[in-house]
Amino acid sequence: MQRRLANVNVWTVTAAIIMILLFLPHLTIVTSIFSPSNENWAHMKEYVLGSFIKTSLILIGATAILTILIGLSLAWLIAQYQFPLRRFLKWALILPLSIPPFIGAYTYHGIVNFTGVIQTTLRDRGGMDLNPAYFDIMNLPGAIFIYSIFLYPYVYTITRIFLSQQSASLIESARMLGKGPWHIFFQVVIPISRVSIIGGASLVVLEVLNDYGVVKYFGIQTFTTAIFQTWFGLGDIESSIKLAASLMGFVILILMIEKLLRGRRQYSYSTTKVRPLPLIQLKGWKAFIATGYGLFIISLGFFIPIAQLIDWMILTFGTIPMGEFLTYVKNSVTVAGITATAIIVFALIVGNFSRLVYGKIAKLLPKLTILGYSIPGAVIAVAVVTAFIALDRFLEPLYRMIGVDTTLVLSVSLMMLISAYIIRFFAIGFNSIESGYDKIGTDFRDASRLLGVGLTKTFIKVDVPMLKGAIISGFILVFIDVLKEIPLTLILRPFNFDTLSTKAFQYASDEKIMEASQASLLIVCISALAIVVFYKFLEKEPD
Amino acid sequence: MFISIQNVCFSYPNTDRAALNQFSMTIEKGEVISILGRSGSGKSTILRLLAGLEKPTEGSLTIQGEVVFDGKTFLQPEKRGIGMVFQDYALFPHMTVGENILFGLFQLKKTEKKKRLQEVLELVELQDYEKRYPHQLSGGQQQRVAIARAIAPNPHLILLDEPFSNLDAELQVKIRKDLRGILKKANITSIFVTHDENDAHALADRIVKLKEGYIEVIGRPCDLLGIHRQQAQQSLPVQEERELVGV
Repeated sequence: MQRRLANVNVWTVTAAIIMILLFLPHLTIVTSIFSPSNENWAHMKEYVLGSFIKTSLILIGATAILTILIGLSLAWLIAQYQFPLRRFLKWALILPLSIPPFIGAYTYHGIVNFTGVIQTTLRDRGGMDLNPAYFDIMNLPGAIFIYSIFLYPYVYTITRIFLSQQSASLIESARMLGKGPWHIFFQVVIPISRVSIIGGASLVVLEVLNDYGVVKYFGIQTFTTAIFQTWFGLGDIESSIKLAASLMGFVILILMIEKLLRGRRQYSYSTTKVRPLPLIQLKGWKAFIATGYGLFIISLGFFIPIAQLIDWMILTFGTIPMGEFLTYVKNSVTVAGITATAIIVFALIVGNFSRLVYGKIAKLLPKLTILGYSIPGAVIAVAVVTAFIALDRFLEPLYRMIGVDTTLVLSVSLMMLISAYIIRFFAIGFNSIESGYDKIGTDFRDASRLLGVGLTKTFIKVDVPMLKGAIISGFILVFIDVLKEIPLTLILRPFNFDTLSTKAFQYASDEKIMEASQASLLIVCISALAIVVFYKFLEKEPD
Repeated sequence: MFISIQNVCFSYPNTDRAALNQFSMTIEKGEVISILGRSGSGKSTILRLLAGLEKPTEGSLTIQGEVVFDGKTFLQPEKRGIGMVFQDYALFPHMTVGENILFGLFQLKKTEKKKRLQEVLELVELQDYEKRYPHQLSGGQQQRVAIARAIAPNPHLILLDEPFSNLDAELQVKIRKDLRGILKKANITSIFVTHDENDAHALADRIVKLKEGYIEVIGRPCDLLGIHRQQAQQSLPVQEERELVGV
């Protein structure tokens, strides 16, 4: 007790306040489980909840399997073999991540639909009149394809980095023991990369559960679309909170399964010494297949949709007034910039706190705030709106005092949207900052304090400069995630406030696919640029 | 009596075992003390407690007549006037050698800062290295910068955590000599922690041997040699005897 009391200072108090604010909205959801339910909810529980769960399970199950197949095979090829275009493919294979799945979804729909490039070509040039139903991708398998082709980089990146940096001695000793490549792949590579594979796949699963754009566009009923419908269609906030609580339960279940699958091996690094895996040269048809496979995936996940988007943009350029478009850009950059800055500042404070304080509770609190990333946007939206409306009610006397004649002030402001972003994406910034703190350790801080410099000044003069890399990469990651975000922005934005992503989504939903291309391309370009900067320069990975 | 440590106990959070148990000793000004023990014996803990990086569960610590810890007081590390040389030196990588050394001299005037910087650089024989960055130095040079940085603010006491562990064997012997010279020239009370008997014997005025958080022996190097021989002859099994003489 004495130890804990002595540690109370400006830092710990600020950190505690931040963590409580980040966590509070989730509590409103949890408590809703205990509130009495209404008719709508009873109806939903009886007739539709089961089908949401079934659809979600199929979506995440199939997507997880496909992303693992694609991600792991590519990771292994790049980590172990030398073949033409390998260096290019190594980082280009991450690029599909820069295309938000909803943009990918409407682009692919545009490519394969009746007036799309494939069917028109077949009709006009090939003289074939095929049944349009063959080309329908607006269904469950179509959604699975979209998710897999745009989300596999999560598995690919994590597994490849693990394989090329950590597995050299294991794989080489397997080779010395006379095992062939297939043997090694199944008996050594898969078991040792289990933690990274599961880590990547669970990110994919959480992304799928969070997604609203693809399923809405394809007309597939899932938790997220149901939360929206109950809220806006039925105007029943209570039931949508209950739906959100069910989805949250679902996510917690997945996190538990993930922990179980990882087993006791919670860490993927067996040694801190990085020894790159030497590459084996592929020749002849083997090299051809390897290059071809990589190019095939990257074309599906990046080049084909980009080519289509560029084509549409050229066709529609000028139809959207430039001034209007620039407003969306300004809005996007403003909210993403404010959010990323706030998250980095908060993460620095909370990260510093978890270094300074002992005890299980102190270590657990930051972990709880990370939960925000696994909680789908629709759930956070519900939670934040509920919290802000309560806050407005609480502040009503104050509003009257200063002569504001409306009762809703905060809950119609941009602050609500930004708060929701912060809760949702805090984990991304925090992970980056925390690993930065881990890397520098506590010796530098201790050394500074023993030279007579206090905690706050040490933080500014020693910690922040040493964390520069982590700060920049955390900022970039949060920034592009906010840029691509859909469900939170749609629900929580102030009236008439549009960003690049909401505008792209609206155009696509209104079947103005071509008009959506301009905003989409800008999102993709910024994200792709950030990814290249991030992996090629900040991570400074050897080739 | 310059430093007094009375009945200090400490255990790390989430463990039952005490890292340090009823530790008491006094140290005179200018003395070089070596704390000797195997890993896990609690030797680094003493340094961290004196520095204020950890807080004892009970006991009291007094440095130059000032109580830095007892049941009521806890003086923060930055207020204690103690220098520390870390095992991996902890030189700030984003600052040059000069900036590292000046870091603790913020209270001095500009001209005094410059003067002090030159003094300590001279003491560790690194006059021409002021503008270099830590990563441009060899291990031995880095260590001397770390010592210079710790000594620069004129601390009451300097603590060295395993000062030789990161150096190769040949360098160790040379640095050992240099270090004793530097410490004696600066007349700073110092405590260093090591697991190597030879280091302790070559450098220290007095040696404290720790075992599982308790003081096993305390005395001058020459006294301890006698005790070892006696113990070895009387009771210790063959294997441990070997380890004691460093075979």
